[in-house]
Amino acid sequence: MSDPCIGTVKGPGETPNEFTFIAPDPERRVKHGEFVYYVGDVDGTVRPILGRVTNRRSVRLFPDNFMADPGVPPAQVAALLGYDSDASELFEITVAVLGYFAEQMHEFINPRVPPAGGAPVFIAGNELLAEVLSKRKRGERGSAYLGSLLSRPDGAVPVALDVRGFTSTHLAIIASTGSGKSYLAGVLLEELMMPHNRAAVLVVDPHGEYTTLRDDMPNLPVFSEGNYRPRVRVFTPDTIRVRIDTLTIGDLRYLLSNLSEKMHYQLSRAFNFAKRSAKNGHYTLDQLLYAVRQTGEGKKDEENFDDEDPTTGALIWRLQSALGNSHIFHDFENMELDELFKPGQCTIVQLNEVDGREQQVIVATLLRRVYQARMDTTKNKVARGDRTYMPYPVFCLIEEAHNYAPANADAVSSEVLKTILSEGRKFGVSIGLITQRPGKLDSDVLSQCMTQCIMRITNPIDQDKIASSVESVGRDLLKELSSLSKGQVIVSGASVNTPVLLRVRQRITRHGGQDLNAPEEWLTWFAEDHPAEEARENALFTEKKITYEEDGDVLWA
Amino acid sequence: MGMDRSAERSAIGKIVKSNNHVDYVCQVFGPGEIDQTPPPADYAFGTFVSVQLQEGALGAGRLVGVIYNTLLLNPEFGSLGPRLSPRADIEIFSPDYLSETATLVGVFTVGWFDAVSQPAQGVPAAAATVNALVQRLTRDEVAQFHTDRGGRLALHYAPLLLNQNNPLTPPLLLAIIDQLSELFSGSRSQLAVMRNNLAWKTIVQPIG
Repeated sequence: MSDPCIGTVKGPGETPNEFTFIAPDPERRVKHGEFVYYVGDVDGTVRPILGRVTNRRSVRLFPDNFMADPGVPPAQVAALLGYDSDASELFEITVAVLGYFAEQMHEFINPRVPPAGGAPVFIAGNELLAEVLSKRKRGERGSAYLGSLLSRPDGAVPVALDVRGFTSTHLAIIASTGSGKSYLAGVLLEELMMPHNRAAVLVVDPHGEYTTLRDDMPNLPVFSEGNYRPRVRVFTPDTIRVRIDTLTIGDLRYLLSNLSEKMHYQLSRAFNFAKRSAKNGHYTLDQLLYAVRQTGEGKKDEENFDDEDPTTGALIWRLQSALGNSHIFHDFENMELDELFKPGQCTIVQLNEVDGREQQVIVATLLRRVYQARMDTTKNKVARGDRTYMPYPVFCLIEEAHNYAPANADAVSSEVLKTILSEGRKFGVSIGLITQRPGKLDSDVLSQCMTQCIMRITNPIDQDKIASSVESVGRDLLKELSSLSKGQVIVSGASVNTPVLLRVRQRITRHGGQDLNAPEEWLTWFAEDHPAEEARENALFTEKKITYEEDGDVLWA
Repeated sequence: MGMDRSAERSAIGKIVKSNNHVDYVCQVFGPGEIDQTPPPADYAFGTFVSVQLQEGALGAGRLVGVIYNTLLLNPEFGSLGPRLSPRADIEIFSPDYLSETATLVGVFTVGWFDAVSQPAQGVPAAAATVNALVQRLTRDEVAQFHTDRGGRLALHYAPLLLNQNNPLTPPLLLAIIDQLSELFSGSRSQLAVMRNNLAWKTIVQPIG
């Protein structure tokens, strides 16, 4: 082993999976989270047994009294007394054992016995780490290269997620605002759309941050190979359509506010009436309104509906205002699944400027439809030619996921999300949740995501939530959460062999979620001579005002 | 076997007293006792010496010790009465009186060479006798004494020294380590660990 020896095993640690070693570490190489190994005998073969540094305790330090004068380094005081060695510090370093890497099983196996005292400890080499940390090699089929190990120079140890891991057991990106979560999501999307993955992805984008993908991705050569070129399709808020007959009774109830018991009852009757009387299951808002009238009390003759019935009137008024006045809910148009999901296509559903409840309904209907389509396809209930025939798995990335599965509130999208998170792997529907407030996210939802990308989180409530619902991240790594910088991420779970601290790679496409530079824009405003213009306008306005006043027009006063 | 001529030549003194089984007092030869008085470097602090064992003593050979202390014996000290004659006269008229001043060195036994000159470190079974000759070890002998059967550097007596509860033992051990680093350049890193540890405990820690 040519790796540098940095310490000597002291003995077992506090828990069965820990050991401690002593290191002088003058070059400060043994960073927190660094990977080290000792050489152990496993069934007759000598193998490196890896571990991660979790703690550092000083066992020898200059006495405090030597530091009485900030201008005099303690080493000088010691030298004065005759101690002139450089070796003044000594640390006891705790290591959590990961184990040796079993190639066949592609995972770490803990030897379940601590190393012998006095055994040398080495810093794991970049090549070794690149080999064992990621389940997939960078650029390999089914890999998503997110970045490189933080404790090493940039790019030295690339870490690639196993796409198969998170597309079957879901993914969560948890990060506070400004820590780079959209940037990371962008990197992930880039990887998914690369020729080696060609995924079918849908992005729910409530802030309109991902449009840069459409502008950049199809034109960059790195994304193309042979005939393949990724497609990015953006549904802007004015092109989003949800056909009214795809709404469930639950969606309708959710969209219509303050329904009385009676209205609830009549709405479900009307809903069933509309369903029953619709041809091919399709009905329009008018037909739904007709059904409301039909199921209401009072007159039911064809021409003269009695809108005097207060329940019927209120329901019709509410349906009109929720569905009739919205350009999203439409009688005939719908975003068809085959438009939304296609391998090699990234579909961005922009939900900015869409009302919160409508957003939830849109997401709920989309997820419900895709889940149903995948179920029907895998169970052979639909065949080629059907619009709901989807013979490929799909991945849905949902930004601001706490809005769609809130912790202490009922959202219409919660239920379908939970269903997909628990059952979706059977049918190839996977979810990627992005949230900045894990504390506000339903805890079942978070704990179902088996791959986690956690970035800086400072809020203690959010930290507790992560600690309680994310088992795969060790406590030692969770302590790092508040000290992470922008673009640094802890990745753990099903898509990596062991939790790793990464520096997110540079994005190939432009990042769309940058903050506004307010001072810059204010200065630009001055630079463009706006103040003078404004002064002129104000002057004109005052002039006019005076004129009008002279004319005696009090309306302007 | 009589006293070895060469040993006699390089002897620095003789054993005059012991404080315990391993702690002897050696009187350094003064003028008149030997042809040439030993140079001070031969009985300096930290010098390795051997003490000739009596013929027939257990596994007879030589004890190996290290000089850890020096005492000056001067019966005149404290008698501040009037001088009857100048010192130059005393040298001529009563030289015996002058010889009563002496330099004593403490020798701590740290091992032995057996009859066939095999070194061993630790507490020897045999004890020295009064008047046994004390010689300085040569460089080669020091190196031989510190080499174990496997050819490696040995410092097995260090704990014995440190347990003496004598304020002079830590600096003594540091002096020994410094000598050995010159002799055993291949073991410098091990000696450095030992030295740093000792220096930390005896220099930095007590002051801090």
